Amino acid sequence: MKLIFRIVFDRIFTVLTGLTVFIIVGALIAILGPMFRRGVGAVFLRGTVEFRKVQLAEFGHGDEAQVRAETERTGLVRAKVYEMIDRFKSGIDTRQLSERATEIYRAFGAELKLKEIPREQYTALRSLSRDIRDRLIEAFAKADIEQISQDVEHVLQYEKDERLKGTASEDFFRLARQYQKAAAATNLNKRDEYAKELAELEQIITELLGPRPTEDSPTLAQFRYGATRWDQAKKLLHKLHWKELWVEQQSSASLMRIEKSRIEEFAGTELEPLFRYIDDNLEKMLEPKPTFYWRYFLDDSTPGHYFGGIGPEILGTLLLTLLSMVFVVPFGIISAAYLTECTREGPVVRIIRISINTLAGVPSIVFGLFGMAFFVLFFIPLFGGPSKPCILAGSMTLAVLTLPVMIRSSEEAIRAVPQTYKEASLALGASSFRTFMKVTLPAALPGILTGVILSLSRVAGETAPILFTAGIAVGPVPKSVFQTTRTLSYGSWDMAVADKLSAQVPHNQYGMVVALVSLILCMNALAIILRSRVFKRLKGH
Amino acid sequence: MFSPVEKPGKNRLYLEVVQRLKQNDAGKSVERAELAQASACVVVKAENFSFFYGSKMGVKDISMDIYPSTVTAIIGPSGCGKSTFLRSINRINDLIPNIRVEGKILVNGQDVYDKRINLVNLRQQVGMVFQKPNPFPKSIFDNVAYGPKLQGIMNRGYLQQIVEESLRAAALWDEVKDDLKKSALAFSGGQQQRLCIARALATKPNVLLMDEPCSALDPIATGKIEDLIDELRRDYTIVIVTHNMQQAARVSERTAFFCLGELVEYDTTTKIFRNPGEKQTEDYVTGRFG
Repeated sequence: MKLIFRIVFDRIFTVLTGLTVFIIVGALIAILGPMFRRGVGAVFLRGTVEFRKVQLAEFGHGDEAQVRAETERTGLVRAKVYEMIDRFKSGIDTRQLSERATEIYRAFGAELKLKEIPREQYTALRSLSRDIRDRLIEAFAKADIEQISQDVEHVLQYEKDERLKGTASEDFFRLARQYQKAAAATNLNKRDEYAKELAELEQIITELLGPRPTEDSPTLAQFRYGATRWDQAKKLLHKLHWKELWVEQQSSASLMRIEKSRIEEFAGTELEPLFRYIDDNLEKMLEPKPTFYWRYFLDDSTPGHYFGGIGPEILGTLLLTLLSMVFVVPFGIISAAYLTECTREGPVVRIIRISINTLAGVPSIVFGLFGMAFFVLFFIPLFGGPSKPCILAGSMTLAVLTLPVMIRSSEEAIRAVPQTYKEASLALGASSFRTFMKVTLPAALPGILTGVILSLSRVAGETAPILFTAGIAVGPVPKSVFQTTRTLSYGSWDMAVADKLSAQVPHNQYGMVVALVSLILCMNALAIILRSRVFKRLKGH
Repeated sequence: MFSPVEKPGKNRLYLEVVQRLKQNDAGKSVERAELAQASACVVVKAENFSFFYGSKMGVKDISMDIYPSTVTAIIGPSGCGKSTFLRSINRINDLIPNIRVEGKILVNGQDVYDKRINLVNLRQQVGMVFQKPNPFPKSIFDNVAYGPKLQGIMNRGYLQQIVEESLRAAALWDEVKDDLKKSALAFSGGQQQRLCIARALATKPNVLLMDEPCSALDPIATGKIEDLIDELRRDYTIVIVTHNMQQAARVSERTAFFCLGELVEYDTTTKIFRNPGEKQTEDYVTGRFG
């Protein structure tokens, strides 16, 4: 009976522990898997022609002739989109039409001035063109097709006037006919509504295809190009088709998001075929190609991480991490040596140990504030350095943060070295310092390297301590340790909190996180290989 | 501090006298006088030596002379202070906190518990082999060269010479001469223990302290170590602590019996085992002692 119980309990124990491990591993995969998938998307992507344009213009990579050919090819396909929009606009955008009429009036005036004609004739023509202009602008403002037709007919009467033949004023009649046609095809009552919708539509098309080739290039890099990634283009296409609306369900309930078709909205207008055209020709307009963007890990980015890579972030993370290791490893080992070799257990050592353990549990933001108060504002200026955040201050702060981990693991490692080694060395006449350096330390090296691994991982991922001491989200690549730097952890944090940024360039945020995880893994793997080599050498296998 | 003793001369003198004594019993008086003269160069001399761990007593009031080129065995039940006494000779006991000593231990005429003593020199003259083989996790060569390097010998050729000599002296050379670069931990326990002996010999000590050197070894390895001790007795003064009474009888010339921190009897091995002067000793060597 007893035996059966024991067996059953053993089984239950095995199953429970196995289940726990299984759940943990499952959770890890469930969390890390999608993250990795999206992060990998930053490097393996279907890049559009816009992507290649960015690469060429901002970073100087790629084949210029090829990009130009692609731009021309896609430009031809895109031209039709702009044509459609312009035609539709000519029927509804009264402000633009009025401006156009005024422009023609001015051009005609300027032409008259250059002509040598009698003064009376000049005045007469001038007032005539003013009349035409005013009549047209009146017609643009009207919503009734009958009245518009009347006005247009009235204007068109002047076409027969000999004096206007072959002058700039002929544009008036072209504009009038165009408007008449467009007005007939448009529901003029909905003109204002259309104008608003069209502005939105144009905005989306600009996001998709970039600014029109005829427009001036915008100052900010993020507005200079269209969708660089095919998945991004697909998203924009969806946005183009479906208008997002938030509607109130009941008085107290939260708003509900609904999507409204834009095709229906523009049904029956000249713009209706546009949607089909974009649907059918999007690939021709963007020419997506599978791209392996390995330069992602080297390239700088345009401000705000809209385009480009995470090179400076990786560099900054490596710099901060390695520099902090330079500080923490010697201090950690020396402190551990003091605690294990140079003192005997007593109240002082106990207080030191409690302090170290407490330090290990202090939130990292506190270290950040300490780093700013001590290293940035006091310590580095003390030696003539700049009194502002810099890599040096950041790495020192990180070193302080991870010092307890380092001390404790080194202490454990040194304590684990057999007493007989020390005895043997001392019995041969070595001083205790020499014994420590030549026998204890080499034998403790694997354990100390474990501490280094733990510290590395901790330091590389910390954000709070460098918040005030070294990190920035946008800025130049550092040229010395007295400058601020971008880092992977800081960058992904900034993307998460910055307005809409992570929604617009999610691949960058995931890319940074994945790069950070991979970087830590790589450094850890290096340290682990080093440790096992040392261990093997010690064991003599 | 410590002046190097002309070891071979003194050792040989004593050895010759002992040899002659063994060979013929005639002319006893002359030989005895010579022996007395030779004994004047005792290497280690304890004078009323007591050792305390805090308030607990380790050994009490020990006085004994250890003669050059002799194997001196220290036997006794567990906890009787044999190791404590042995480890006091080169002051390796100093690692333990809160210790206190009274009396003197003289090595080559110098009190080892003198405040002015140079511990480095003392320990180079008094080598030690521990209970468990404890080679450093380094190569064979580095293990043996560790001591000479401490003495400031950096010349590679000279170091190689010392390493070879020491390994030959420890009867290990033939087994490891091709693997000098290999880690010492890759060898068997017996080889490791002989390596430790070679390491101790490399600093050219007068005295070799052995703290139960065979207790962690199998009988074959033990036999090899005992043969080695037999070889070494010619050039070194050996003090060996052992639990194994057969071993003491086999390898030593003189035996000291410790009990409860006191030196009960100290005489030639033959006398201790054949004809002990004390009842306690007799009980112990015959196995009646609990």
